[in-house]
Amino acid sequence: MIACEQIERTFPGARGGVAALAGVSLTVERGEFVAIKGPSGCGKSTLLLAMGGMQRPSAGRVLLEGKDIYAMSAQERNRVRAERIGFVFQLFHLIPYLTVRENVLAGLPPGSSSAGHAARVDELLEQLGLRDRSGERPGTLSAGERQRVALARALIKQPALILADEPTGNLDPENAVDVFRHLAEFQRSGGTVVVVTHGGDAAPHATRTVHLANGRVVSSTPGDQSFNSGNTVQTAP
Amino acid sequence: MTLVGIIVRELRHHWVNALLGTLGLIIAVALLVSVRMTTEAAARETGRVMRDLGFNLRIIPRATDMDYFWTHGMSDQTMPEEAVKHLAEQHGVFLSFNHLTPALEGRIDVEGRQVLFTGIGDTIVDPGGGKQPMGFRIKPGQVFLGPTIADRLVAKRGGVVRLGGREFTVERILGESGTEEDVRIYGTLSDVQAVLGQPGRINEIKAIDCLCLTADQDPLSQLRAVIEDVLPEARVLQLTAIADARARQRQMAERYARFAVPLVLLVGAGWLCLLTWLNVRERRAEIGLWRALGHGSARIAGLLLGRATLLGLIGAALGFGLGTWIALSAGPEMFQVTAKSLRADTSLLLWAVLLTPAFAALASLFPTMLAVSQEPARTLRAD
Repeated sequence: MIACEQIERTFPGARGGVAALAGVSLTVERGEFVAIKGPSGCGKSTLLLAMGGMQRPSAGRVLLEGKDIYAMSAQERNRVRAERIGFVFQLFHLIPYLTVRENVLAGLPPGSSSAGHAARVDELLEQLGLRDRSGERPGTLSAGERQRVALARALIKQPALILADEPTGNLDPENAVDVFRHLAEFQRSGGTVVVVTHGGDAAPHATRTVHLANGRVVSSTPGDQSFNSGNTVQTAP
Repeated sequence: MTLVGIIVRELRHHWVNALLGTLGLIIAVALLVSVRMTTEAAARETGRVMRDLGFNLRIIPRATDMDYFWTHGMSDQTMPEEAVKHLAEQHGVFLSFNHLTPALEGRIDVEGRQVLFTGIGDTIVDPGGGKQPMGFRIKPGQVFLGPTIADRLVAKRGGVVRLGGREFTVERILGESGTEEDVRIYGTLSDVQAVLGQPGRINEIKAIDCLCLTADQDPLSQLRAVIEDVLPEARVLQLTAIADARARQRQMAERYARFAVPLVLLVGAGWLCLLTWLNVRERRAEIGLWRALGHGSARIAGLLLGRATLLGLIGAALGFGLGTWIALSAGPEMFQVTAKSLRADTSLLLWAVLLTPAFAALASLFPTMLAVSQEPARTLRAD
C-alpha cells in the first residue's frame, strides 16, 4: 500500500540541522493496522506527514500504491491526498465556522457534489453517534465528538489509507477506545490504517507495531507487543 | 461546498476581523471619494474665484508704442479681427491660452469728457475643455456703463444713451470697482468698431494663461514663444499679480491632491495588509487542513483573495456612500460660490467598485502567497 524508502528529514536548528528522520524504511501492506510508537520527538509525526505527502523528505522516497508521491506534480499529489488518503489529527483540525455536517462534507475531494453524498454523510453521522449534532459548530462539541467528526471527515471519501496522528491524545479513555474501534472497523472493511500513538489504546487492533527512536525504526513487531520481545518481522536499517 | 459559501461562512465566524477590514476599506474609500469630490470642488471654486479676477493675458499688436500703451491703458495699433480665430486654430494654443476674447478699445467724447469705450467680441474657449466662456455677454445695441459715467449721464438701466452719434440701450450699470473700469463703457465689438470707425479691427486679445506657472517658473517666456510662432505680428503681456495668484492657488490644490490621495491609499493598503496577515496567521492551521484534504494552492488562494475581494466590494459601496455624504454635507460650507455644482459622482462609484476589490486583493497577495507556498505540514502544525 505504502512504502517509505530510506527517508530522512532534517529541520534547521540553532546548532545546525536536527535530524527528525534519519533513514526510515517501512512498508505497510493493504489491510494492515500499523501503530507507530516511540518517545516524544522521535520523528513519529514527521514520518506520518511525510507518508501523507504533507512534508517532503530531505532524502528518500515515499511510494503510495507503487508511485513516488514526491515525484508527482503538486496537483497530482493533491489529488492523491484528496482521493486516497484520510487524515485524523490529535487537535482534530475541524473548521470552526462550518457545521458538523459541512465539516464532514469538506473531506470530499474538491469538486464533489455535496448532494450526491448526503446519504453517506447521514450514515456516517449515525454510525459515529453525531446525527443529533449535525447542525452544530465544532466549538459546541466535546473533544470526543470533535474527533468523531474528524473521523467522519476522513471516512466520507472512502479512502484507501487513513493516517492518524495521536488521534486519542486529547481524549478520555472511553472516547479513545471508541475512536480506535472506528479505525479498526475501517481496517476490517479493507482499509489500511497507520496510527501514531503514545499509549496502548491501539493494542487490541494493531496488526503491527513499529517503534521509532531518534528518527530510526528500531523494531517492527506483530500486534502491539513490547519492542524488546524479539519478535521482529521487519526492521529498517 | 462552493468557494463563496465557504468565504461567507468564514466572514461570519471571524466577524471582528472582517468588520475591521471592511471598516478600513470603507474609511479609505470614503476619504478618497470625499477628497476627490472636495478637491474637484476646490478646483472649481478656485477657477471661479480666479476667473472673477479677470483676464491675465493681453495680446496686443507688436508695433504698439509701449509708452502710449502704459500711459493710456490701450494699444495705439490695431490688427485684423481674424487674428483671434487664426490664433485659436493653431495646434496646441489652448495648452497655454484660453478664453480668447477679441477687443477694441478707444476713447470717445461723452458730453465734453473722454471716456473709455471697449468692444468685446465672442470668446473662443478650448473646444475640448468644457469651459464656459467668461466675460460679459452684451447684445448689439446694448451697453454696460461704469458707475461714474452712469452718474454723470444720469443713466438708468433700460435707458438710452447716445455715443458717437448712435443710440444704445443701457443694459447694466456696473458696480464700483475703484479702477478705470468706473469710467468705462462696454459694448459689442461690432458696435464699438462702428463708433470708433475701425471695422474689422481689434487692438487687443484678452486671454487667460493656462500654464499656471508661478512667476519664478517664468511662464512669460513660454507664452511669448507660442505667440511668436503662431501670431508673429502680436506680443503678449501678462498681468503677473493675477496670473501668479492663480498659478499659486492651482498648484497648491494640485499639491494637496498629490499628497492626500497616495497617503490615503497607503494607509488603506497597510491596514488591509495587516488585517489579512492577521487573518492568514490565525487560519494557518485551517490552510494546512485544506491542503491535507487535497485542496490546491489556487483554491486556497481563491479563499483568501476572494475574501479580500468581497470585503473590497462591500467597502467600495459603503465607502462611496459615506464619502459622498461627507462631501455633500461639508462641501457647501467650504465652497460657497460653487456649492450647487457639488453632487454625487457616479463615475467614482464605478471606479471604487472596480478598483477597491482589486486593491484589496493586491494588498492580500503577499500574506496569501506566503501561506500557500509553505509546506502543508508547517501550516498544519501552526497550532
